Amino acid sequence: MIKFNQISKQWPDGTKALSAIDFDIPKGQFCVILGPSGAGKSTLLRAVNGLMQPTAGHVAIDGVEFAPQTARELRHRVAMIHQHFNLTLRMSVAANVLAGLLPVVSNVRALLGWFTPEQRAKSCALLDRVGLDPKHLHRRAGELSGGQQQRVGIARAFMLNPEVVLADEPVASLDPKISRDILTLIRDAARERNTTVLCSLHQVDLAREFGDRIVGMRDGRIVFDGTPAEFTDERVEALYHGARWEDAPTDAGSDTVIDEFESQLVAA
Amino acid sequence: MMVPTMEIKPIPVPAMGTKVEWHLDQPYRARHLLILIAVIALLLFTGHRTEMDKMVVMTGQAVGNIVGLNSESQVVRGLSRVGESMWPPVIATREELSRFPEIDRNNLPLFASIEVREVEEQRMNVDSLEMEKHSTQVEQLVQPLGYAWTVFIKMLETIEIALWGTLLSVVLSLPLAWFAARNYTVNHFTYTLARGTISLLRSMPELIVALFLVLAYGFGPIAGVLALGLHAAGFLGKFYAEDIENADKKPQEALEAIGAGKVKTLWYGVMPQVVPQYIAYTLYILDRNVRMATVIGLVGAGGIGQELKGRFDMFQYDHVATILIAIFIVVFLLDQFSARLRAKLI
Repeated sequence: MIKFNQISKQWPDGTKALSAIDFDIPKGQFCVILGPSGAGKSTLLRAVNGLMQPTAGHVAIDGVEFAPQTARELRHRVAMIHQHFNLTLRMSVAANVLAGLLPVVSNVRALLGWFTPEQRAKSCALLDRVGLDPKHLHRRAGELSGGQQQRVGIARAFMLNPEVVLADEPVASLDPKISRDILTLIRDAARERNTTVLCSLHQVDLAREFGDRIVGMRDGRIVFDGTPAEFTDERVEALYHGARWEDAPTDAGSDTVIDEFESQLVAA
Repeated sequence: MMVPTMEIKPIPVPAMGTKVEWHLDQPYRARHLLILIAVIALLLFTGHRTEMDKMVVMTGQAVGNIVGLNSESQVVRGLSRVGESMWPPVIATREELSRFPEIDRNNLPLFASIEVREVEEQRMNVDSLEMEKHSTQVEQLVQPLGYAWTVFIKMLETIEIALWGTLLSVVLSLPLAWFAARNYTVNHFTYTLARGTISLLRSMPELIVALFLVLAYGFGPIAGVLALGLHAAGFLGKFYAEDIENADKKPQEALEAIGAGKVKTLWYGVMPQVVPQYIAYTLYILDRNVRMATVIGLVGAGGIGQELKGRFDMFQYDHVATILIAIFIVVFLLDQFSARLRAKLI
């Protein structure tokens, strides 16, 4: 279980990124954090594995609070999937997936690239699970398409059997069809392993489709917390109302935006 | 659905004959003329100090001499004297057979032959106490590729010195680069120490370092390898470190997020990215080291340079010609080789 306890974050320039965020995510839940850009979704996610230090409050995973002493142990249990995939592009797909094991591999083994047969078998099994072929193993990650790169990113995230997967806008740079494939993959792989997923998104329809629960954020505050069924169009309007146009959802959620835009044009 | 219509405004056209109020200045002003005069004055001053005026006169004379306008040119005289003694380059060796007491006449080394030559000698007549010319028959062992082989062996030694110098510089600069990269160094002290070491190594010219190392290690390749390796480590350390600092942060962030630690992040998140540039720098250093290895040979640090210096001091310019041709061939081949290697690896 992830427990956010009165998390606040103020950047050195004085802007408030998070204001007293307080909620729990039960084990195995697929929780979507939804909101316009700049709402604080990424900042909140990064509080879980300590990439961001909150100015107040704390995050706890199964009762263990994040602190410098517990950082190493907690980071083993929390994997991350990134918006830009964050693979080492000039390294092979196999090496990128095995890199997910680095926290538990000795320096000597890591420098030699000398992994145990079980570890190598696991990387193959996960690559198979995310829908890649043996022929991809020795390709450079940079040669793959965006969707395939994110599949490698997912395989890497599951290498250490994480209890929590943080997915930071995992489909923001992918097209709608591939976005659905990728989110399906993350959801199913997490369900098979009873892994908790905390996934930030800005597309309303994807959030409704994949989330067990939707947490709507705006300006560093939670403005909605409930099931997709409770997340009605009025709530969507409330979440995005007043947001600047460039903050509005782009990809798949853009239909509503275009409708609104056209009606404004007509009115003008 | 209603499509909003746009109001189209025509671009206003001025009436015929209207005078435009703008103007475009000409690009030069008095200030530029002053700058030009100052630059020319400076060039004339330093040009005279570096004898550029004399150079122009002498070169003009040389050109005039070649096309037959004037009969005297110091440059042409000097060059043709050296040029004549340089041509043809020495390929063979001739040595007196008496210097090889153990040689078997019926079983000579490959390609070698024995020639008999008449050699004139100045000898003192004991009776008249005057120098007299005597001609004697001397047997010589002629090896048609003898000197070419000597140069080849010396050139090989130079290339080996360059290779080991490069290897040494890579081994020294990799850890230096790690500590000199702001984002991977341990603390401010190690950063300053590494940067200081790199600057120090780079600021010492190979030739001077080699001079001192020859005093310390004696004549031979040790001084050469150390001199090349230390200087190049300064160069590589600086560039390796800057590439680590400039590497794409995204894969590093991914590894940091799972707590991989600095060493493993550097190896998996940074090294694969910087390898192409590292290869390019290292090949440049190898190329430079081959050229520098010939130069530092002049101060006794082994290889072809040592041979070159010896022949030059004995005015054996035909031997020098062979050596210069060999150096050119090696530098040319190395250039071809590194271009291919780069194309393959990057």
